[in-house]
Amino acid sequence: MKMLFTRPAALAAVTLGSCLLAGTAMAAPTCEDGAIQVGSVSTITGPVDFSDGPKGAKAVFDQINEAGGISGCKIEYTMADDKADPQVAAQAARDLIDNKNVVALAGGASLLDCAVNAATYKRNGVLSVQGVGVDPMCFNAPSVSPVNVGPYTLTTAMLDYADKELKDEKLCAFFIILGGTQEAYAAAVARWEKMSGKKIHLIDMTLPLQGDLTPYLIKARDNGCDAVLTNQVEPGVVQMINTADAQKIEGIDWLFLASGYTEGVAKALPNTKQPVYLGTEWEPYTEANEANGDWMKTMDKAGLPKTAFSQGGYLAAKVLADTIASIEGPVTRESVSAKLMEGKAMKYPIAGSEYVFGDAAKHAPMQATKVMKLNAGKWEPISKDWYVLPAAE
Amino acid sequence: MNSLLTSAVAGLSAGGAYAILGVCAIFTYRLVAVVNFTGAAIGATGTFVMVALYESGVPLALAVPVGIVAGALAALAVGLVMATWFSGAAASTKAAVTAALLVGIIAVGLRLTGGQHPHNFPDLIPGSAFRLAGVEVTWAAVVTIAISVLFTFITEQFLARTQTGLELRALSQRPMAAELIGIRVKLLALSVWAVMGAVTAFALMVIAPQRAPDFMSLSLLVVPALAAALIGAFASFRAALAGGMAIGIIEGLASGLDTFSQYRGAIPFLVILAVLMWSQRGARFDEAR
Repeated sequence: MKMLFTRPAALAAVTLGSCLLAGTAMAAPTCEDGAIQVGSVSTITGPVDFSDGPKGAKAVFDQINEAGGISGCKIEYTMADDKADPQVAAQAARDLIDNKNVVALAGGASLLDCAVNAATYKRNGVLSVQGVGVDPMCFNAPSVSPVNVGPYTLTTAMLDYADKELKDEKLCAFFIILGGTQEAYAAAVARWEKMSGKKIHLIDMTLPLQGDLTPYLIKARDNGCDAVLTNQVEPGVVQMINTADAQKIEGIDWLFLASGYTEGVAKALPNTKQPVYLGTEWEPYTEANEANGDWMKTMDKAGLPKTAFSQGGYLAAKVLADTIASIEGPVTRESVSAKLMEGKAMKYPIAGSEYVFGDAAKHAPMQATKVMKLNAGKWEPISKDWYVLPAAE
Repeated sequence: MNSLLTSAVAGLSAGGAYAILGVCAIFTYRLVAVVNFTGAAIGATGTFVMVALYESGVPLALAVPVGIVAGALAALAVGLVMATWFSGAAASTKAAVTAALLVGIIAVGLRLTGGQHPHNFPDLIPGSAFRLAGVEVTWAAVVTIAISVLFTFITEQFLARTQTGLELRALSQRPMAAELIGIRVKLLALSVWAVMGAVTAFALMVIAPQRAPDFMSLSLLVVPALAAALIGAFASFRAALAGGMAIGIIEGLASGLDTFSQYRGAIPFLVILAVLMWSQRGARFDEAR
């Protein structure tokens, strides 16, 4: 083939070439095989609906795509539903890895994704930036690093808060134990005991998921508990406080985890005088402030409701998008995993800790919460500052 | 021991709930010959209608009767299914059908009521009646127990002393014969369902504020209720009443004792097992001889 250039064409070619060179120098990610594939496994149908998590992640990716993608690379996001069924969860992960060929997972919110799939992810060299990690494996696997604090770290944080800030002396903890969570909660309490040098006054791991709570509250009262921490989910929080009111119990601080942090709970308890506290996963989603600004804008644009779960999906998607943007060269499963494993700390206003993936055997990077108090049917932040635990060992 | 008494009293409010639902279970079994798994779910339907109205600003005085009617209508719907297609079926078939219906009602109910999201259940009967062994016994618990006693008494008298009561007994024992001698079988059966629905709906409205306020938790109250009915051998209202109370109290006792409290959920099943073994002891013993 003859190499015949007209002058303007040659000029154009040279300019293009230098642009490409400059592009390489600026370390931009490239995507020769089309759109970058990202996925997540979440519990969408089944006993609970966590779809706000992956939907929040999708909103972020959609926004990036609309603005032209990451250095021109579009992201294709697949939300898989595990139906809270281990077998379905395993199939969903296989499909994402083998058929969709995802480079990483981000924004998943599931009851059992980590427990079922963490080993699969590790085997296939794919990493998961979990949006909302619930089961203990999310915080105990090399292949998963959640952007949320999680129930176990929050247990430690709330006990520490009751001890240091509320000056409660006799701390009691009642847990509902589902699946393999007993050890994780026991470890969370042990971590607080080690940090504070104090002993938990009473620990009861037999709280029923359904059933009357009166006997448990009487037990807490008769044991002289100053604070009672439980891992109740929404209806349980309401039931517990109603029962405490019916029993005319006074002088106990009630501590809950982020699973109780919804407007539904606050609205269902408009008149209680009980002191009710809980720790959030991120910047309180009920507060319209600067830290939440970008998240709120993104959700409004996508027409999504503003829930705590969508914060998790949003944050996970931000983490992954920023990670991909810092890759030099082709975006593949290997390059994304390598970049995450570098363990660069990433700071976002919506979270109190810096997010890190890294190459540790387990990850729980988020160690900060904001404590909320129930006041006349509304959750109100106690302080503008994050309550930060020293890094987990 | 005082702490044991405390735990036992703490189980009273649960006991009252089990008792009324157990009595209602026997009511449906004795009169329309159905082991009804949907009882609590029907009551929950009425309760959630009431809450939905209450949350949208309708006064309680109106919301409660509408909720009770909704409970009766839900029961009528289930009753219509049972009376139309399964009136001649075997008892086990009918039980299986209601169990299947329960799964369906829970699935639909959970979706319609926003899943696990709690609702603001108004205290229909607020406050506590008295304090016993350091436990506040609420008016709600007292009223539930009173309703179950009253319902037991009225039903017993009604069945024993009225013409309709007699017809109902005929209906449950020989539905075909009853129909042949001119008893309006379907109408009677449907009214039994409606009464059951209305009573359960009201009972659950009273109980709900003290329970996990979501559709599934309320619907699953049927398990201890059926255990209570079994104690009454699906025949005796009084035994079911006492049995329901006993299960609640045993649960309370169990959560007071650390060693047992993790097996608390199994208590209804243990009770069912014990009752079955006791009630079948004659047959087994005879066979062994």
